[in-house]
Amino acid sequence: MSEHRTIAKRILFPVLFFSLLFTTSSALAQDGKALFKANCAACHNPLKAGTGPALGGVESRWPSKELLYTWIKNWNKAVATGDPYAVKMKDWSPVAMTVFEGAINDKDIDAILAYVETAVKDAQTPTATAGQPVVESDNSLLYGILTLILAVIALILLGVNSNLRKLADDKDGIPSSEPIAFYKNKAYIAMLSLVLFVIAGFFLVRWGIGMGREKDYIPEQPIFYSHKVHAGQNQINCLYCHGGAYEGKHANIPSVNVCMNCHQAIGQYTGSAGPLYREDGTEVNGTEEIAKLYAAAGWDTIAKKYTGAGKPIEWVRIHNLPDHVYFNHSQHTKAGKVQCQTCHGEVTNMDVVSQFSELSMGWCVNCHRESKVDFNDEKGNGNKFYSIYEKFHQEIKEKKRDSVTVNDIGGLECQKCHY
Amino acid sequence: MTKTRKCLNRNNKKSKKNSQPVNQYYFTMKKTAILSVAIASVILFSCGRDKTKPNSVYMPDMMYSRAIETYSNTDTLKAQGIFYNATPVKGTIKRGELFPFSIEMDKVGDSTNYIASRQVQNPLPALDAVQTKEAERLYLVNCGICHGTKLDGNGPLYNDGKGPYSAAPRALATDPIVVNMPDGQMFYSISYGKNLMGGYASQLNTTQRWMVIHYIRSKQKPAAPVAAAPAAAADTTVKK
Repeated sequence: MSEHRTIAKRILFPVLFFSLLFTTSSALAQDGKALFKANCAACHNPLKAGTGPALGGVESRWPSKELLYTWIKNWNKAVATGDPYAVKMKDWSPVAMTVFEGAINDKDIDAILAYVETAVKDAQTPTATAGQPVVESDNSLLYGILTLILAVIALILLGVNSNLRKLADDKDGIPSSEPIAFYKNKAYIAMLSLVLFVIAGFFLVRWGIGMGREKDYIPEQPIFYSHKVHAGQNQINCLYCHGGAYEGKHANIPSVNVCMNCHQAIGQYTGSAGPLYREDGTEVNGTEEIAKLYAAAGWDTIAKKYTGAGKPIEWVRIHNLPDHVYFNHSQHTKAGKVQCQTCHGEVTNMDVVSQFSELSMGWCVNCHRESKVDFNDEKGNGNKFYSIYEKFHQEIKEKKRDSVTVNDIGGLECQKCHY
Repeated sequence: MTKTRKCLNRNNKKSKKNSQPVNQYYFTMKKTAILSVAIASVILFSCGRDKTKPNSVYMPDMMYSRAIETYSNTDTLKAQGIFYNATPVKGTIKRGELFPFSIEMDKVGDSTNYIASRQVQNPLPALDAVQTKEAERLYLVNCGICHGTKLDGNGPLYNDGKGPYSAAPRALATDPIVVNMPDGQMFYSISYGKNLMGGYASQLNTTQRWMVIHYIRSKQKPAAPVAAAPAAAADTTVKK
């Protein structure tokens, strides 16, 4: 019996040992990910430099593994050894690294480093290739050419017809007038001028109506900024950059510091939303466009600080209203609860933003005719602006007042006369 | 009288008949002129306008403001002797706004003010239901993109490391560093930025920043591990 037990023990122990070894090695990278996220990820990334340097290949950069481990646990101690690399790394960034002594042990560091290497390897394997843009063909030119050809053929046939008739008349001995060239034929000239008059009139009227309207206005911006990447792919709220649309009259154009909130950490376009194209079809290098932002912000990407040599980006404003029109964004977004997309279209799908709406008076009036006012309800939701009228109604019904004066409805507000 | 007119008329008719070839030539000349004008106008208007340039307008003086509007060019104002620097007068605050944060931003590499900001208390009383809703909106617009809608530090920009943002944002609801951080220090970080995060003073006013802090605190309460991790203490390490 005891012999059996020893045999079982002898087999069981190595089996257990190996299974433990395997599970730990496979779980090592998994643990490493959790440890990395909990302790390192706020400042470090395996591939990109952030608050701290990129960690990929960190083991090969350090002179010895022991020194690296010492640094990770307490960088002060590594610097104290006087090692030139550690002293150099002390000045990598003005932000000092957190001291992890007592919080993580050597095994944890092993796991973290194993995860960093797997993350670098994963990133190097190529992923799905980006699709080509679908080129929409415009058929109107083709139709125009076809119409022209048909018109010429019709003219030729008419000429042939008159010539043949003349030949037939001559044969029968019927006297006929000399043929007139078609460009001298009054009937043709009258017909042609009528057609041209109608066409020219159509375009003239259309041009006259379109004057002062800017639908589809798509100016070229100083930096190729894709709303599709930012608001679509990365789901950044419109109000993150254009917060003024909820607070006041203008939907502000964001200042450079708002861009830099994220772009301090994001220095390259990785093609997450596919390749970017300008309106003329040329491809955009997203990373170069971000470099333009850094130039405007005066951001030194190597030293990771502002040089103070920035200048504002001169974005071209797309939506313009005439000076004699007062429009307030917050009235529409906050009080009226109108979505941005109602007037600006699906900006989340636009690489280059163009004016989506007419912004003509008829367009405004149409929406005001159809939109229903969200009156105040019992629960206090909705627009409270008109609640004063309800109150007056109630008071007149209850005989508390017999009339409403101009003063009661804001007639003595200074701005009624002095604006 | 009538006779003469008749005669004149007849004469006219006659002359027309006599000079028919000349007249016909004249007629075709006129036609060609009309024709060319028509063709030119068709070409002119059918080309369409260049959509990258602003359209022409009927009354430019009614369209474009003579007053200095938002986003007008202000470069020439100084030459005209007009003072303009787009900032409020020093020492003034907006009506209804809280007193500004008295602690200034640290110089690079220093953290004296960051530590000093711990003493500042949140001046706002606890939020009511309507204010909480507004604070949540502000959080989702400005913070959720990185720190996550659930305050788990996993917003769309980070997305478990798959997003474009390289650094993991703090899990505001659970990270002991944030849970144990005093309100004042949190306000400092939101106003001036911390590590890779930029300052949000330009996007959120003083009241709104304190509201967001209230909102974050309200989300921390259900699971607040009070045990201070060593990392929390070490976070304030200053470079000597």
